[in-house]
Parts: sequence; C-alpha cells; structure tokens
Amino acid sequence: VPAATALAIIVAGGRWARQVAALGIVVGVGLALALAARVEIDQHAINYVLGGWQPPLGIALRADGLAATMVVLAAVIIAATALYAAPIFGPTTEGGETRASLTFWTCLMAIWSGLAIAFLSNDLFNLYVALELLTFAAVPLVSLDGRSQTLEAALRYLLFALAGSVLYLLGTAIIYGTSATLDIGLVAARGAGQTGLGWAVALMTAGLLAKTALFPLHLWLPRAHAGAPAAASAILSALVVKGSFLIVLRLWFDVLPAGPGLHAATMLGALGAAAILVGSAMALRQERLKLLIAYSTIAQIGYLFLVFPLATGTGATPPWASIAWTGGILQLLAHAFAKAGMFMAAGVAAETLGHDRIDGLGGLAGARPWTFAALAAAGLSLVGLPPSGGFSAKWLMLIASLDAGQWWWAAIILIGGLLAAGYIFRVIDCALRPGESKPKPAAPGTRLREGVALALALTAIGLGLMPLRSSAFLAIGRPLPQEVGLQ
Amino acid sequence: MTTTILAFVVLLPLLLLSCWLAPPLRQAIRTLLPIAPAPGLAAALLSRGTTVELPPLQIHLALTDPGAILLGAASILWIVVSPMLRRATDDRFVAWWLLTMAGSLGVFIAADLVSFYLLFSVVSLSAYGLIAAGSGPGVGRAVSVYVSLAVLGEAFLLLAFILLAVASPTRSLLIADAVAALPGSPWRDLTIACLILGFGLKIGLVPGHVWMPLTYPEAPLPAAAVMSGAAVKSGVIGLILFLPLSSALPAWGHALAVIGFTSALYGVFVGLTQRDPRAVLAYSSVSQMGLVGALAGMALTTGSGAAAAMAIAFYGAHHVLVKGGLFAALPLLGHEARAERHLLLPVAIIALSLAGLPLTGGYVAKAVIKPVLGDGLAGTMGMVASAGSTLLMLHFLRRLEGVEAAARWRSGAALAWWTLAGAATALPWIVLRPATGSTPGAALSIGALAEAAAPIIASAVVTAALSASRIAIPTVPSGDVAGLADRGLAPLSRVLGKAMARTDETTRQWPVACIALLVIALVLGATLAAGP
Repeated sequence: VPAATALAIIVAGGRWARQVAALGIVVGVGLALALAARVEIDQHAINYVLGGWQPPLGIALRADGLAATMVVLAAVIIAATALYAAPIFGPTTEGGETRASLTFWTCLMAIWSGLAIAFLSNDLFNLYVALELLTFAAVPLVSLDGRSQTLEAALRYLLFALAGSVLYLLGTAIIYGTSATLDIGLVAARGAGQTGLGWAVALMTAGLLAKTALFPLHLWLPRAHAGAPAAASAILSALVVKGSFLIVLRLWFDVLPAGPGLHAATMLGALGAAAILVGSAMALRQERLKLLIAYSTIAQIGYLFLVFPLATGTGATPPWASIAWTGGILQLLAHAFAKAGMFMAAGVAAETLGHDRIDGLGGLAGARPWTFAALAAAGLSLVGLPPSGGFSAKWLMLIASLDAGQWWWAAIILIGGLLAAGYIFRVIDCALRPGESKPKPAAPGTRLREGVALALALTAIGLGLMPLRSSAFLAIGRPLPQEVGLQ
Repeated sequence: MTTTILAFVVLLPLLLLSCWLAPPLRQAIRTLLPIAPAPGLAAALLSRGTTVELPPLQIHLALTDPGAILLGAASILWIVVSPMLRRATDDRFVAWWLLTMAGSLGVFIAADLVSFYLLFSVVSLSAYGLIAAGSGPGVGRAVSVYVSLAVLGEAFLLLAFILLAVASPTRSLLIADAVAALPGSPWRDLTIACLILGFGLKIGLVPGHVWMPLTYPEAPLPAAAVMSGAAVKSGVIGLILFLPLSSALPAWGHALAVIGFTSALYGVFVGLTQRDPRAVLAYSSVSQMGLVGALAGMALTTGSGAAAAMAIAFYGAHHVLVKGGLFAALPLLGHEARAERHLLLPVAIIALSLAGLPLTGGYVAKAVIKPVLGDGLAGTMGMVASAGSTLLMLHFLRRLEGVEAAARWRSGAALAWWTLAGAATALPWIVLRPATGSTPGAALSIGALAEAAAPIIASAVVTAALSASRIAIPTVPSGDVAGLADRGLAPLSRVLGKAMARTDETTRQWPVACIALLVIALVLGATLAAGP
C-alpha cells in the first residue's frame, strides 16, 4: 500500500513526449484512485516512510482523507487537461517536438508531482520543495506563447512568488531552530507554548498567501491567468493556487498545537471577504472573458479562507469534523472543476470567434452548444445555484457561519453570490444573442475538447449531490498522531 | 401508483427536455408538449397527501391540499397553452418552456428546503429564456430587470432557508419541520422578513412589482400567460408553506397586510394609466397578488392556519385560470380579428370574475376569502379592492380596441381561451365543497350576491362618468418606479465600481503589494504569538 503513494510521485516525474505523458497519466490516475480507495477501506491514514528512516531523520509521506481527496482531484484535472491539450500540443507534422509542446508537457508533469508532494508530504522542507516546483513549473506555462505581455506577466508572477518563498523559508528556518525537526507531527508536539512557532507560522502563511493570490496579494494573478493558454489557465486556476492554500490549511490546523485561535482566523477570513467583494466587483467590470474568469478566481479563493474563522468559531467540534471544513473543501473541489471547465470553454470560444470580448460572444450558443453548456454549467456552480457543488458548499458555509454566530460571513457570501450571478449572467446573456460575425469552422479535435470542458463543468454540478453534512472521509486520519516516529 | 405520478410531475417535462437535445426528435416534442404537464393534473386529482422520497438525491416531494389546488390549476393552464407553441419557430424557446414548466409545477410538490429552492430557482431563472424570446425594443431592459430582481429574491430566500435549517432542532430539512420550529427560533424576525422579501418580489408586492409590467408586454403571449398565471404562484405557495400561519404573529401579519393592500390599490391606480392591454393585465396581477399578500398577512395576524392556507390557494388558483385565459384571448381580439367581436362579452365576464362578479368563479373565490379578511378594516379593504379590480378590468376592455395582438399566436389560442374561461367559471363551484367544506348554496344568499355586486356597480358608474367627462388620464410609463430606481442605483453602482477598481489597481502595484505582504506577516505573527 505505501508504495502506491511513492509511485504516484515517481510516475509523475519528468516525462517528455505526449505519449509518455499519456502513459504516466493513466498510471497516475489509477494510483490516485487506488490510494483513495485504500484510505476509504482502511478508515485510517496511510503512512509511508521513505528509505526506512523514521522522522526526524527520514522523510515521511502521509495520505489522510483530505490528502487522498486532493490527490484524486489533481489526477482527474491533470488528465482532463491533457486530453484537452492533446490536439493543440501534439507533435508537428514535421515529426519534431515544438518548443511550446515540450515545455507544456514537462511543466504539466512537474506541476503534478509538485502537487503530489504538497498534498502527501508531512515535512515542512518537503513542502517547500513542492512549492518551488509548482512555481517554477507554473511560470513557463504562463508565458508559453512567448509574447512580451505574457512574459511580463510571468515575470511578475515569478518575482512575487519568490518573495513568498523567502518568507516561507524564513519561517521554516525558525521552526528548525526552535524545534530541531521539520516533521509536522513532531513540530506540533514539541512546539506547544513557543512564541517562535507562532511567528514562524505567520511568516510562512504570508508567503503562502502571496502564492495563493489572496487579496491584497493578487497583483500577479489576473494577467498571468488570462494570458496563459486555456489549458494552462485551467491548471493554474484549478490546482496550482490550491496547492499553497492546502499548505496554509495544514500549517494552521496541524502545526499549531492549539489551533489558530479566533483572532488570527478572523483576520484571514476578513482578507477572504475582501477578496470576494473586490474580485467579484472587478469581474463585473471586465471586458474580456478570460480576465473575468481570472477575477472570479480571486473571489472564489476568498471563499476558501472563510473556512478558518468558521471552522474555529464553532468551538466544540474538532475543526475537521465541522461542516465548515467540509464546505470549504467542497468549495475547493467545485471551484477546481468549474473553473477548469470554464477556462477550457473560454479557450474554445476564443478560437471559434477569434476574440474573447464578452460583448461579442453572440452566436456562441448556436455555433458551439457544448461550449456554451460548459460555460453555463460552470457558471451555475460558481454562482452557487442548485444543484451544484458550489451550492452545497455555500449552503454548508452559510449554516456554519450562523452556527458560529458569525452572521457577517453569511452576508458576505450572499453578496458574493449576487455579484457572481451578475457577471455570469452577462456572459450567458451575451452568448445567447444572435451573432454578428460568422464563426470559424471547427479545428479537428474541437469536439473532444468541448466534451472535456463540459464533463468538468458537469462534475462540478454533480458534486452538488453530496450529502449536506460534514464528510467523514475528509476527517480520516485526523488529528495527526503527534507521536509519529517516536516509538 | 399515485406516488409515481407525483414524481413524474417534475420528471416528465425534464424527460422531454432531454429528448429535445436530439434535434430529430424536436418536432415530435413540440406535438407532445401538452402531455408534459399532464402528470400535474393527474397528481392534483389522485395523489393528495402522498409523499415521495428519492433518497440518493435527498429529494422529498409531497402534495399538500393547498398545493394540490394550485398544482391542478397550473397544470390546466400549461396543458392548454402549450399547443400554441406548435408552430413556434424558435427551438430554444421550447427548451426554456419545458424547463420553466418543470419548476413551475414542481414548487407545488417540493417538501424539503433544498428541493424547493432548486425548483423555485428553476422556474424563476428559466423564465428568463421565455422573456428573452420576445422581439420588442424593451426586451433587453425587461430581461435585466427581471433577472436582477429574481436573483435578489433568491438571495433573500437562501438566507431565510438557512435560518430555517439552523433553527430546526433536529436539523431537519423538511419544510414542515423547519416551519414548525420557526416561531421559537432566535432568528424568527429576520427569517420572516427574508421570506416576505423573497416571495414578495416573486408575487410582485410593491415596490418589487416593477418586473411584471416590464416583462409581460415584452414576452411572447404564451409566455406571458404561463408566467402571470402559473409561475408567479410559486411565490404564493411559498407564502403558504413557509409563513407560520398557524401561530399568531400580529406585528408581522399587519405589516404584510399593509404591504399587500397597498399593492392591491397601487396596481389599480397605475394600471388605469396604461395603454397596452398586456401592461394593464400586469398591473392587475400586481393588484391581485397584493390581495393574496394581504390575505397571508391577515392569516398570520390571527394564526388561522390551514383554513386560511386553503382560502389563499383557492383564490390563487382562480387567478391562474383567469389571468392565463385573458392573455390567451388577446390574439383573438386583434385588429385583424374584427369578426370575433362577439368574444367581447365572454371576455368581459371572465375579466370581471377577478372583481367577484356574481355567479362567476371569482364570486366563489371572494366568498372563500371573506372569512380570512374578516369584517373589520380588512374586509372593507377587500371590498375596495374589488371595486378597484372592476375599474381596472373595464379599462382593460376599453384598451382591447387598440391591441396590436401578435397574430402569430392565434393558432391554438381559441382552444386555450375557451377551456380556461370554462374552467375559471365552473371549477371554483365544483371544488368549493371538497376544498373548504362549505356548500355552494350557502354562497348564494341574496345578501351575499348584493354585497358582491355593490362594488362592481359602483365602479361601473364611476367608469361611465369618467369616460363621459373625458378627463384625460395621465400615462405612466410601464414599470413606473423602475425608472427612478435606475436613476438612483446607476450612479451608486458606478461609484462603488470605481472604488473597487481603484482598490484593485492600488493593491496590484508592487510597493503596495510588498508592504501588504509584510504587514500581513507581522500582524499575523503578533496575533499568533500572543496565543489563541
């Protein structure tokens, strides 16, 4: 069993051509599913110690319910993206690999392995490696077409992400200095009562927030996500920002021995609330479809950070058993599927119409009904209308906020939903209008790519069938056994 | 068997909709459209009191008595209006039609909060497609006002439903359980306020009525018929199911009654200034639904419970048939159809049925709601509302002269009109006893007849006097206060939008972002180090 986790990483390593990547993806998806099934059957977390060295000397991998969920998510989205991108980044007719396609497949695999480490690793330095891998693999994806604007966007992203990395590393160093270990379980056990730990976590969090693009640290996101090719945007928005978010989640609830405390959690929630308002309002003002989607990502990331005050606020229950926790993870999943589907649909729309101005979307519904359906279904989930994962997530978070007596978060969620309805409706209404220009004929493979986008969007809808209570699977393997490796 | 019918109320329209995805089947589906609402009618007749659970989807359906009356009336309307679409050229319109139908019939049988919210959203939002199919110059504005208000209403309802779910001690999502726990909820007042706002926007209580006069004249006629007749009743069933009518809450009851009566009168006065007969009908809906709101308010004041719920549903069902029928009659009365002038008398009778003209179905409906209104001020207001309805309907009949009816909807309109007219007249008499227990004979006393006739005669005299004196009635633009709201909201949203844009631009500058990064690190550090 533990070998499965290790293999997931190894397989996801550097692969070169499309065919090799395809093989890697098939195996990887299979392993991810097997891992999740194993966790479900065993009902406890899977631990694997690399090379037989126990922490603190060795490196431990650990797959609990949450990690397994995330690994499956990453595998599915990566596979869908690969399907979507296969017709674009195929070998050229001359037989050689183009630079863009080589970069794309390499970075795709690198991102996947980065995510696998980020989700499974139990060691703060390993997490740092994962973060760097994610950043360095994501940046080339942004500037894949080599235009100067996208290069500038990529450079912005790189610089700001590196600033974040510095802070993270600083925090790691402090923890190593005080606890002499970087294993999450051991740090939590040894760090109780240390003020240094609080400062370290704060530094690391700030660095991670920069990589997650939480308002007001989102300067790089709109242009990076809007400038990248559709397949890359899908990955960046659906997965890459989630990697660093998940590490924040684990820092706060696993590393901090007594949990984050309501004050600090409320601060993160406040930033999230600001992100919802500003991101949604900005999305309403955009002229171009991809920028709209990018700003919508900023808003949706905001929802994720409401988990911190909501999961802490209810007090009695352990955070991971609360409905806010499930709601937050569900929001993460629903957003990942919806946003990936939406970026892909936007990509097809831009090819069909030759531009991505929202006002000029007329005729899309008639010319590309599948693409339109994908946009509409993904939009449904983003707005949070039933039946969709977005709705269930919103429902759980609203219930949690009233349970915790923190009604202001409920107000923010509702206002965010109204604004989202505004920008999504604008897209749908424009796409339903009769078109002025004749759409371009479909390139080969367009049907498949439309199908992938639609399937992702429908998955986001299907998540709405999850029962409206806290999920037991996500709580498997929690709390972290603090004595791991000490026996 | 009866429970299967219940599930098919929603499933059959959706089934047809999924067949619609295959283009070769589309012509057949257009022919089959009248079949789609049939399970609704069958369920209304056979399935009262049954419940269905679909556990994997967590969907609970149940048919209450008020729900059955409304479901039956709405199904009849959908059945007879659907043939008008047989020659519709727009494929997409048919798809929206089926989706709206599924939601419109489904809300009457939804038994848990999530299903109700789902079906309510379906009927509200897919009506967008029905309106957008209109071709007039105002359709863009109608669509945006309609969708904005629909989404706003749903936000209120979502909050209300969350509050209901939290208040229920067992965390039950069943509507009946949640509403039973509502009077003891710490959030009671907020919940009721949100319910009234959400459903009030749907049934067009002033000032949430502006979407009605904007959309009905712009939407294609069959769409206007089902929206005004059937779709709006999703708000009525909402008030019936969700307001704790069995526990007396006088403060909220009075507030709702005042809003309702205000709408009832406001609809009449502004409706009198309209020139388009469809706008007149829209304002009549505002007025009628205002009366329904007032009824709910009075029921809440006294806590009269189930009996009041039946009365409200009864009155609403009558309105379903009459308003749908009047819209269906419009294509028959256009300029090109002078030969059908003989229709004017039956149309007049049905129109005045809204005012409670003796012996019509409306007369029965007014008799049924009389106990809910009582003899006091509310009873008098009911009489005034009847007089107002008479004025408005006489105005409607006069405006018919100038109707530019869309001749394209003539096919099937005669069938729809005559069926609805017959149903609106006969069904209230037939259903009266099983629904309320009182006999038709009791309603037919001389005193009651005279009381019902009095406001109508008075209004007829006033109308005659007005037209004789040739006083010029000013014209108010359709949608009245929507213009004012636009003027108020547009600058506000511009200012807010600009502020957001400035915030976004500022924070996306390098120095600001870096400082923000450091500040976040320091503040978080100080907080975390201080301990939880």
